[in-house]
Amino acid sequence: MKSNEIANLEHNRSLINRRFFLGRAGVGLAALNGLIGTQCEASADDHPTLHSGPVTAHFLPKAKRIIYLFQSGGPSQLDLFDPKPGLMKRFGEEVPKSIYPDERKTTMSNAQTKFGTAPSAFKFNKCGQSGLELSELLPNVSQMADDMCVIRSMHTQAINHDPAITLMQSGSQIPGRPSMGAWLSYGLGSETENLPTFVAMSSRGSGKGGQPIYDRLWGSGFLPSIHQGVKFRNQGSPVLDIYDPAGVNSKVRRTMLDYLGKLNELKFQSSGDAEIQTRIAQYELAGKMQASVPELLDFSQETKSSLAMYGKDVRRQGSYAFNCLVARRLAERGVRFIQLFHQGWDQHGNLPKQIRKQCIDTDQPTAALIRDLKLRGMFEDTLIVWAGEFGRTVYSQGALTHQNYGRDHHGNCFSVWLAGAGIRGGMSYGATDDYSVNVVENKLEPHDLNATILHQMGIDHTRLTYPFQGRDYRLTDVHGTVVRDILS
Amino acid sequence: MSSTKFRNPLRIKLAILILFLISESIVADDVSYSREVRPILAAKCFNCHGFDAGSRQGDLRLDKRESAQHVLSLLDGSNLLLDRITSDDPDVQMPPPESKLSLSKEEINVLSQWLDQGAKYERHWAFQPPTRPEVPVVDSANLRNPIDNFIRSRLLAEGLTESEEADPTTLIRRLSQDLHGLPPAADLVNDFCEDPSDKLYAELIDQLMASPRYGEHMAVPWLDAARYADTDGYQNDRYRYMHVWRDWVIHSLNENLPYDQFILEQVAGDMIPDATLKQQIATGFCRNHRINSEDGSIPEEWHVENVVDRIDTIGTAILGLTVGCARCHDHKFDPISAKEYYQLFAFFNNVPEWGVGPNNGNSPPFIDVPESWPHLSPEENVAVVPDPVKLRGAREGQLGNGLKRPQAGNNKTVMVMHEMQVPRKTYLLNRGEFDNPDKSEALVPSVPKALHTTSDPQPRTRLEFAHWLVNDENPLTARVAVNRVWQQIFGLGLVKTSENFGTQGELPSHPELLDWLAIELIESGWDIRHIQKLILASSTYRQKSDISPELAQKDPQNKFLARSPRYRLHAFALRDSLLASSGLLVNQIGGVPAKPYMPPKIWRSISNNSYKQGTGDDLYRRSVYTFWRRTIPPPMMVNFNSADREVCNVRKDRTNTPLQALTQMNNVAFVEAARCLAEKMLAHSENPRLAIEFGFMELITRNPNEVELDLLLAAHREFNDNYGAKPNAAKELLAVGQKKRDETLDVAEHAAMTMVASLLMNLDEAVTRE
Repeated sequence: MKSNEIANLEHNRSLINRRFFLGRAGVGLAALNGLIGTQCEASADDHPTLHSGPVTAHFLPKAKRIIYLFQSGGPSQLDLFDPKPGLMKRFGEEVPKSIYPDERKTTMSNAQTKFGTAPSAFKFNKCGQSGLELSELLPNVSQMADDMCVIRSMHTQAINHDPAITLMQSGSQIPGRPSMGAWLSYGLGSETENLPTFVAMSSRGSGKGGQPIYDRLWGSGFLPSIHQGVKFRNQGSPVLDIYDPAGVNSKVRRTMLDYLGKLNELKFQSSGDAEIQTRIAQYELAGKMQASVPELLDFSQETKSSLAMYGKDVRRQGSYAFNCLVARRLAERGVRFIQLFHQGWDQHGNLPKQIRKQCIDTDQPTAALIRDLKLRGMFEDTLIVWAGEFGRTVYSQGALTHQNYGRDHHGNCFSVWLAGAGIRGGMSYGATDDYSVNVVENKLEPHDLNATILHQMGIDHTRLTYPFQGRDYRLTDVHGTVVRDILS
Repeated sequence: MSSTKFRNPLRIKLAILILFLISESIVADDVSYSREVRPILAAKCFNCHGFDAGSRQGDLRLDKRESAQHVLSLLDGSNLLLDRITSDDPDVQMPPPESKLSLSKEEINVLSQWLDQGAKYERHWAFQPPTRPEVPVVDSANLRNPIDNFIRSRLLAEGLTESEEADPTTLIRRLSQDLHGLPPAADLVNDFCEDPSDKLYAELIDQLMASPRYGEHMAVPWLDAARYADTDGYQNDRYRYMHVWRDWVIHSLNENLPYDQFILEQVAGDMIPDATLKQQIATGFCRNHRINSEDGSIPEEWHVENVVDRIDTIGTAILGLTVGCARCHDHKFDPISAKEYYQLFAFFNNVPEWGVGPNNGNSPPFIDVPESWPHLSPEENVAVVPDPVKLRGAREGQLGNGLKRPQAGNNKTVMVMHEMQVPRKTYLLNRGEFDNPDKSEALVPSVPKALHTTSDPQPRTRLEFAHWLVNDENPLTARVAVNRVWQQIFGLGLVKTSENFGTQGELPSHPELLDWLAIELIESGWDIRHIQKLILASSTYRQKSDISPELAQKDPQNKFLARSPRYRLHAFALRDSLLASSGLLVNQIGGVPAKPYMPPKIWRSISNNSYKQGTGDDLYRRSVYTFWRRTIPPPMMVNFNSADREVCNVRKDRTNTPLQALTQMNNVAFVEAARCLAEKMLAHSENPRLAIEFGFMELITRNPNEVELDLLLAAHREFNDNYGAKPNAAKELLAVGQKKRDETLDVAEHAAMTMVASLLMNLDEAVTRE
C-alpha cells in the first residue's frame, strides 16, 4: 500500500471512529469544529435543515464532561440544604397567607383546612472549613462541603413532576424539546469511539416507589435522533440487544460480520450509495461495542478499597451506587454527558422515615464519586450537578407531629448543588425567607442553571441553536443568565 | 507569446470591467424578495422589526413596504437601512451587537442590490392559492405524464440527465414497499417479470391499492402526524383506548375516502348534519393529544394545553404552519397575531372536557363503540350524544386532597369531539399562560386574516372551520397534502420542510410541479390515490436508484431526481418486511393493540406498571398495531427513527447507527424471524445452494449473482462446521423466540441456515427501498 493510501485509510478510519454513534449526520462534528475556532459548515446532505453557520463557543471549557445526579421526585430543601432553625418555635403554627398564598398550591393539598408549619426533624451541621451548613442526613457528602456550591434560591414555574422534570431537562414544561445531553451532543459531538456520547441510567429509591421517568428526558426532541442519550437499562442487558443471541459465539459472529461486510461492499460497488459504507462501518462498530460495554460493567479490575468506598450496593445492577461507579468508568472512557436518575424523593407523607432511606441510598456513593474523581485527577474537569425538579412545602401535608410529617410539591424555592470544574466550593448561593417558601436573594430559574452548565462546557447558551419549524431554538429558550458568582 | 496577449492592457481592463458589470447586472436582475431577501430579513431583522408588535423596536417593521418606506428609500445615493447595516459604530450598527446576530458581506450585498432595484416586496408564495401552471415542453424521450415534464425540464436546467429505467424486479419490489411497506408476493414478481408492460404495471398498482395492506402502510405517516398512541403521555402515562379511531383511518384509506372528506370528518365529523357514528369517531383525531392525570394538576392549566395541542397539530399536519409560535406573542415571521391564535383556539375550546384525565381510561367526552364495529348496521351508524363529565374526588380518603377526576371510558369506548351548548369563553392568554387571560375582550372564533378566502362569511364554528380547511381556495391544504404524498414516496418533499410552508420554511424545489399536483388533487375530487398513481406511473419514479459519483456530487440529496431515491425502510416496514419474508407476519386488520416482544421489564424499570407481552399471533402483527406507550415507546421502533407520538410529527430523519445493527443482529424478533426463514429455506430444498437462492429471493426479490452466492455458501459452510461440532449451541440458538420449530429438521443444519438467514436479513439491500 502506498503511503498516501495509508494516510487516506487512516483518515477514513478516524472519520469513522468519530462518526461512531453519530450515524450519518456530521452535525456534531461541524459543531465541534466550530468550537475549536474553525469555520466549518455542516454539510447540507448530512443534515438538510441545519443552518450553514457554525456553532461556536468562544471560551475554553472548564469541564470536559458532566455527571448529572438527578434526584427525581422533589427532594426536600428544608430537610437537606436550607436550614431554618427559627421554625422550631413556630411548630404547628399556620403558615401565614402572606408567605404562602393559595395560588398554585397543588390540588393534592389545597383543600386542607390547616397549613401548619413543619420544621425539619433533622439537625444541620457546619461542615468543612467553609462551614457550609448541611443536614445530618448527609454525613458523607458533608465531608465534601468545601467542594460544593449549594444554590438555595432555585425557583420553578412547575408544580407537578412531569412538567417540572421536563422543564429541568429540556427547558420547557411541555414535551417535545431536546434534552440537555442531546444539546451537548449536538454542540460538541462525540469524544469516544466505543461508547455513546450521552448515557442515562436510572435507579429505584428505597424511600418510596418513585415517580416514573420517561424516555424524553434523554430524548433528542427535534434534534436529529443520533443525539438522543442511550439509556443503560437497570436490569438485564444494559444496552438493548448488546449481547449475541444464545448459541452464537464470537467466532460465528465474526464469520457473519466478515461475509456481511463483503456482500455489502459488493452492493456498494454496484449501487454507489455511500450510505452502504456507513452501514458497513456501523456493523463493525456494533461489534466493538459488544466488547466495550461488558468491559465497562466488569468491576473485576476495581480495587477493594475503591469498591468499598461506594458502599454495599455497588455490585447490584440498578442501584445508585452501581450507577455512580459506572458513571466514573464512563467518564474515564470519554463519555461527555452522564446522567443518573434516582427515583423516590417524593415525600408527601412519612417524610422523615422515607428521606432517611433515600439518603442512605445516595449519600455514600455520591461522596465516593467525588472522592474517586479527585483521586484520579478528574474532579477539576468534571462538572457534577445534583438536582431535583422542585422543592417541598414548609407546611405539612397531612398530619403533623414532631417526628412525622409530609410535604407537598413546592416550586417557589428549592436547592441544588454543583461541584467540580470551575465551581467555587464551600459556598451557598441565594437565600429564601424564614420559612423556605420564597426566594429573597438571587432567584434562579432552571434556565439560569442550564445556561451555567453549558457555560462550564464552553458553550454560550445563546448561540447553541437549532432551526425548527422556522425558529432558532435553544435549551434556554429566550432566557437564562450564567451565574458567574458561583464560578471560580 | 506575451506580446500578443498583453498588447493592450487597457482593453483587457475594460473587458474585465464589462464582464464584471454584466455579471453584476445578471445577479442584480435575479435578486428575489421571497428567495433571497426575505430569508435574510427574517433571520436577522424581523425579531425586532417584524410582525410581532410586542417585541417591535423603534416603531419600525420591515416585513411590509408601507411601514418601512422611510428606511428603504434612497436619498442622495444613501439610505437609512444601508447606513445602519454597513456601519461599524456599535451604537448605530444593525443588527445591534447585543443581539449576537450579524450580516455577512454577501447578505449585505443582496440587501443593497434589492434596495437598488426599488425594494420590491412579494406576497409569500404559500399564502396565494395555487393556479394550474403550464406543463413545460421538454425535448426528451420517455415522458409518461406531466410529472416527468416538470422534473425533466429542471434536470436539463441543472445539467443533469435522468437515469434509465429500473429492472422489473426492482420496480415491483419498489411498488410493493411503497404501497404496502412489505416485499412483493412471489406471483406478482413472476407476472410482472414475464410481462413488464405499462398496462400490467398499472394493473398491479390497482391490485396493490385494493389490498388492506395498503391502508395499514399508508396510515403510518398520518398516525405520526395525529400523535396517535395508546397511553395518555404524562407522568404515569396510563392506558387510553383510541384503536377504533386508528382503524377508522386505515379503513378510510382503504376505501379511498376523498382527502377533503377525510379532513372534514376528523376535524368536525360530529357536527356534520345527520352525522354518522363513523364520522363522529373520526373526530378522535382532535382528542389524540396527551392528557395529564398527574396528582396535583390544575385542570384549567391542562385544559389549555389540550386545546393548544389541537391547534398545533392541525396547523402542522393540515396547513403546514407553525401557528404555535403565536401562542405567547404575535408570530415573528408569519402573519398570525396572538389574538388570531386565540381566535383559532376558540374553535376548539368548546369541548365538554375536564383538563385532568381519569388516570386510566378514556377521558370524556367519549362514546360507546358497538360490538359490530367496523361493520355497523345503518341503525348503529348514527352519532350519539356523549355523557357529560361526572367528577369525583380522586383521593377522598386523603385529608385535604382537592383533586377531582372525571369518569373513565373503558376499552369499548372511543374519545370524540362534542360541542357544549353554552360556548366556553375564550380570551387571549398573555404569554400563553392559563392564569393570565386578557379579559378585556372575549374572542370570537375566526381564521387569520392572511388566510381569508374570498367567499364570505368567514368560519365561525368548528364545522365551518373544517369546511374552510378543505375549501378549494385554501392556499395550503392541497399543497401540504400532495407534498406529504411526495415525501412518503421519494423520501424528501417538494417542500423539504413539510412541517412548515410559512415564510421560514424552505422554498419548494419544484414550485410549479407542487402547484400542478395541488390543483390535480382538488380537481380529481381530492383523490389521493389519483396523485399516487400519477407519481408511480411517471418515468421519474421508474428510474434506477444507482448513484454515479458525478450525481453524488452534484445532487447529494437527490432533490432533482435524476435517479430514484434509495433509503432504509421506515422502522415499521423494516420489521414487517422481515416478518413477512420469514412467514411469521399475521395479517389481521385492526383491533386492540398488539404486544410484541420487548426487552424484559421495559416498563417496570422506570415506571409504575408492567408490560404484559402477548403470545402467539399477537407477537407477529403489523407494527402499526404495536402498543404505543408515549413515555416509553417501543425501543426497536425508536431506534429506527420512528416518531415518538408525543406531539404531531410529519418528518423524521433517518440515521444509520450501531444500535440498529445490534437490533438487527441480536433482537429476539429478528433472530426468530431468521430461524423461521431458515426453516422455509430448508423446506424448499435440501441443497444449500437452492435453499439460499430461495431465501435471497424471499428477502430481496432477486436472485443472487454467482459471487454473492459463493460468499453465502462459504459462510454457510463455516456455520455448518461450527454447529456440527456444537449441537448444544445449535439448540440454544433454535430456542430463541416462541414460535415452535419443525423438530424434524436437523439442529445443526437448521442453526447454520438460521445464521445464513440472519446474514441475509442484515444485508443493506434487505432493509432498503431502491
